[in-house]
Amino acid sequence: MPRLVIDDLEIEVPKGTKVIDAAERLGIMIPRFCYHEALGAVGACRMCAVKFIEGPLKGVQMSCMIDAQDGMVVSTTDQEAVDFRKRVIEWLMINHPHDCPVCDEGGQCLLQDETVSSGHGRRRYPGRKRTYRNQYLGPFIAHEMNRCIHCYRCSRYYQEFSGYRDLGPLQIGNRVYFGRFKEGRLESPFSGNLVDICPTGVYTDIPARFKVRRWDLQRAPSVCINCPLGCNTIGNSHYRAVMRVEARMNPYVNGYFLCDEGRFGFSYTNGGADHAQRPWNSRISGADVTVEAALAESASKIAEISAIYGPGAVVALGSTRNSLETQSMLSRLCRRKGWQGPVWFNDPAIYRKVRSGVERLDSGIAVSMREIEFADFVIVAGADLLNEAPMAAMAIRQASRKNATIIVVDPRPISLPFEFRHIPAAPAQIERCLGSLVKGSISKDELKGFDSSAKGFCKALPAKFEEKESGISISELSGQLMSAKRPVIVCGTGIVCESTPAFAADCAQLLRESGKKAGLFYILPGASSFSSALLSGPETKTFSEILPQIEEGLIKALIATESDPFWDFPDRERLDRALSMLDLLVVIDYLPTETVKRATVFHPSSTVFEMNSTFVNQEGRVQHAERVHVGGVPIWGAHPPRIIRNFVPGGDHQPAWELLWKISAETSMLESVLTLGELIAAEIPVFEAVGHSKYPITEGRIIPENSEGSFVKPKASPAKGQTAKGFNLLLTDTIFASREPSAYADTLASVFPEATLFMHSGDANGAGLSEGDMVSVELELGAIQLKLSVSQRMARGFLFLPRQRGIHWQKMKEFSAWIAPERIRKI
Amino acid sequence: MAQPLVLFKNRHPNRVATLDEYRQSGGYAALERFIGGKIDPGEVVRLIDESGLRGRGGAGFPAGKKWEAVPKNAPFPRYLVANADEMEPGTFKDRILLHTDPHCVIEGMILAGYAFSATKGFFFIRPSYDSSAAIMERELEIARQSGFLGKSILGSGYSFDIVVHRSGGRYICGEATALLNAIMGKRPNPIKPPPYPTEKGLWDRPTVVNNVETLACVPHILRNGPQWFKDLSLTSKGAGTKLFCVSGKVNSPGAEELPMGTPLREIIEKHFGGMLPGSEFKACLPGGASTRFLTSEHYDVPMDFDDLKAIGNRLGTAAIMIFDQKTCLVATTHNLMKFFARESCGWCTPCREGLPYMRELLWLIENGEGKEEYIDTLRSMCKQVWNSYCALAPGAAEPVASLLEFFEDEVREHIRLKGCPFNAKAGN
Repeated sequence: MPRLVIDDLEIEVPKGTKVIDAAERLGIMIPRFCYHEALGAVGACRMCAVKFIEGPLKGVQMSCMIDAQDGMVVSTTDQEAVDFRKRVIEWLMINHPHDCPVCDEGGQCLLQDETVSSGHGRRRYPGRKRTYRNQYLGPFIAHEMNRCIHCYRCSRYYQEFSGYRDLGPLQIGNRVYFGRFKEGRLESPFSGNLVDICPTGVYTDIPARFKVRRWDLQRAPSVCINCPLGCNTIGNSHYRAVMRVEARMNPYVNGYFLCDEGRFGFSYTNGGADHAQRPWNSRISGADVTVEAALAESASKIAEISAIYGPGAVVALGSTRNSLETQSMLSRLCRRKGWQGPVWFNDPAIYRKVRSGVERLDSGIAVSMREIEFADFVIVAGADLLNEAPMAAMAIRQASRKNATIIVVDPRPISLPFEFRHIPAAPAQIERCLGSLVKGSISKDELKGFDSSAKGFCKALPAKFEEKESGISISELSGQLMSAKRPVIVCGTGIVCESTPAFAADCAQLLRESGKKAGLFYILPGASSFSSALLSGPETKTFSEILPQIEEGLIKALIATESDPFWDFPDRERLDRALSMLDLLVVIDYLPTETVKRATVFHPSSTVFEMNSTFVNQEGRVQHAERVHVGGVPIWGAHPPRIIRNFVPGGDHQPAWELLWKISAETSMLESVLTLGELIAAEIPVFEAVGHSKYPITEGRIIPENSEGSFVKPKASPAKGQTAKGFNLLLTDTIFASREPSAYADTLASVFPEATLFMHSGDANGAGLSEGDMVSVELELGAIQLKLSVSQRMARGFLFLPRQRGIHWQKMKEFSAWIAPERIRKI
Repeated sequence: MAQPLVLFKNRHPNRVATLDEYRQSGGYAALERFIGGKIDPGEVVRLIDESGLRGRGGAGFPAGKKWEAVPKNAPFPRYLVANADEMEPGTFKDRILLHTDPHCVIEGMILAGYAFSATKGFFFIRPSYDSSAAIMERELEIARQSGFLGKSILGSGYSFDIVVHRSGGRYICGEATALLNAIMGKRPNPIKPPPYPTEKGLWDRPTVVNNVETLACVPHILRNGPQWFKDLSLTSKGAGTKLFCVSGKVNSPGAEELPMGTPLREIIEKHFGGMLPGSEFKACLPGGASTRFLTSEHYDVPMDFDDLKAIGNRLGTAAIMIFDQKTCLVATTHNLMKFFARESCGWCTPCREGLPYMRELLWLIENGEGKEEYIDTLRSMCKQVWNSYCALAPGAAEPVASLLEFFEDEVREHIRLKGCPFNAKAGN
């Protein structure tokens, strides 16, 4: 480990540490523009010049380009280095417009900070300023090229890190221009990171632009709840409105970055631009009432129904966007009050997949996104990452940049921002493909060393998987997997068969037994799926199983806590009928959902920005989101009120767990449970086991150590293909438009993907359809019209329908459908 | 004039030498002996090393050492690039060479490729040399048909082929690492070594970049031996001949092949017709636009790498631009700086912003708006641009630094008179 001296302070750093990082460890911030930990050192801006006084190098050098070495004596304050840095600032500022007063970056601008700290204050350059024309880059990112200091961070992030090619440097000399060949929306769904990564105000966040100064923002660490990954964010609020969301660095989860859905999908909490889209007030039968009146109404009605029909006539619905606090409270109340539930999922198949996955995850095998970045072989089984969990795609891209082999086994026409081998296997064939891939990588010697269960599992794996259309040789890939050291299996829970998550776990386990540091990474359906599974037992029901009881009149009251069956339950007609049979529908929510509109009693709950809450991501990482602001109807757009009131308009909402506790009339609650931490630990024992009964829980993972994973004997794959002519229609997610709560954000409405039905080009040819046709698909409850997209890179005999806002997929009677050829036609 | 004609042996006033002419003058004999005779490639490297052949592209790095830098166990395929992106102002020797005897370059490339077991050669040429590129394409095909190029050359089992790659047409593309980026279809920004291109160049494979003139020397050295090559030079440390291209106030500007180390006075007065009538030698740039002004004090300096280094200058590309007493050197320097500022790739700050800054100050001085303090600013910037990413900006600063060193009075005169004493004008 090299020892060096920086500004008279001695430090020992690991080999390969750059001098700029070594200085940072000592608390010396060497000015920099182009250097960024995630992007590496390129030595473009020349701002981090320091003087090397002793050691292998001498003179002024760039501290980002030089590895720390033994015997170096470095001065950051040497006059020559200081003068040079001052000159660099002068150079950078000769063309800068000095528009800080109207620039949204002002107050958080690296250029501003370093210009001031360099002492540069007087313009000496006698020439004119260079100017540029700006481009339209889409609804999220504003472009102001005149502010550019050419650090190349944006193009390095955009092209090298995130893998998109439509933004980059054009021209040479001092006319270098960062932009697109032609104006237009940025193709990358990770474009918002340009705002964070730009050291000055070239890229600014359009939703927040011109609305607030940085120093007037209320900021707090938060967590994104749009997908299961739980990326860390910073919420920025002003006048009771969230203005913008920034990425918060977490080395294990999202690194420095966020996807655009997580960054821009926040406006649901403000009720949209006009604040009218959020239900702010308590309501009884549609009429606004006070909080207390609504709570009393719910409590008395629930008590009444419990008394008449028994507590089993009350059912509590939760969801996978509940906080851990709310889920624990639901779980506790159901047990203590004798209510049915809590119900977390609508689709029993999804529920079983999530549960079997979470059960098989142990701390040895579960990997974080950071660990995926260092994988050398990644198999994605049944997951469309860019649409289901975008930042996971970014993590795999980093592995791909380090030359990892990436294989995607998925029936959909997957696109990802890196090179990968796509095997478009039908859902029922995914296990077969994965199994033969893994089996081929186990050598005979390794097999001998296995215990009997592993041996049995390995032997039962299918030896051969033929993939004719993609022309990919599984045996060749198996050979590569054999030499891999850190393979990771990423397994989806949406489109795959029920047995696949456990099967993937077995495969990962088998790879571990063969001496690899194999990892497993599940893509679960929602932010709180992991904790939902922890709170579930064998008797836990899904909404599909509850619905018949409502129809039979056995259930009289429904408490829907941040849960909207209309969002993800098919057969809209049946749902309508069933809910109208209820005596009581209590809804606790912050989104303007369909269920909210039908509520007998409605209680507004707090969003993640308005309360302290805890979420467990899909690898069992517990993360705390702090309250960013005290909620209420935002007041920006108008002058703050001059009348002082003793209440906040629209400020009636409370955390869902608190509302639940109040309507349960569970007075003994405070006596038996003192803190939220104890509540959570009481409901999920593993929290206690790992010492998390304190509150708030700010970090840690709650996967039990060494849970004994036993191999399940793989079942024989079903016969290939169905004989009847027709298509298997499956639902799939799309980025921006498929998930609560971000799909309710009006900021995202303009980027919703066009509703598109995906079909294999061979199938389309047979049906006389072609790319771009408008088609009508006759579902059980009526027809839907949408555009057709054809692809060769997908499984034959399947249709994929995006479950997105604006498509009436609820005209299906089940979660999937069989479409006879005559029921799909061109219009 | 008994000039030792090596590279220009087959020079004709108005046409390109044919393959037959080249062969009659001994061409492809070295190739037949070394590749046809399957002599160890190490022997080729050793001979070139011994001959003292230094790179003719400007930096003067020993050619043999560069080839040796390719590790013995380095992966394949390995690449050779002939750099014909001749964009240094004042330099046109490579163009003349290509229009004189293209096979000399082709044979040199094949032998150089053989020396480190390259399988593919790129002939990287600036797009404005399209006629040269067309000649190369034509002659490469002829060489291919004659069995000197392509699969298993002369039945030796060694295969090597060459493609002509037209550059995007920017000065920076001539910088070896930027050139590699350009071939790979990337933006031509230089890459700071390590790793050196000889270890990780094109597509992360070992790649050697040599100047066209350097490569053209190779067959002659192999045929005649290193000592013969050394003896061509007039100075003891130098080796071989050099193509000098002379422009400016002389009677017959052009390119001539002369022994390395020919004194500047002799070059001007004997080989290029002397100064124009009424012109006196004031200064010259001895090796292209990124070298320092050389004053009449050194009029007798032998034009060789080491001798010029001894007086603080560089041989560069040996493109001598000669200025007389009537030429305004401020206007000249501004003109050069205009070129460099325009041709900066825009990667690092000192070059991208510093050069236009210096150009602006020079323009103001030349056009009568100069201030005394600009001299200090220019001087400090000349030093500071040495901290830039590649050698473009330090090279660009050389004329300015030497202008301030040798002709400060002339600069101050501009400022005092609020105008150019020579009545020159700097264009924008």
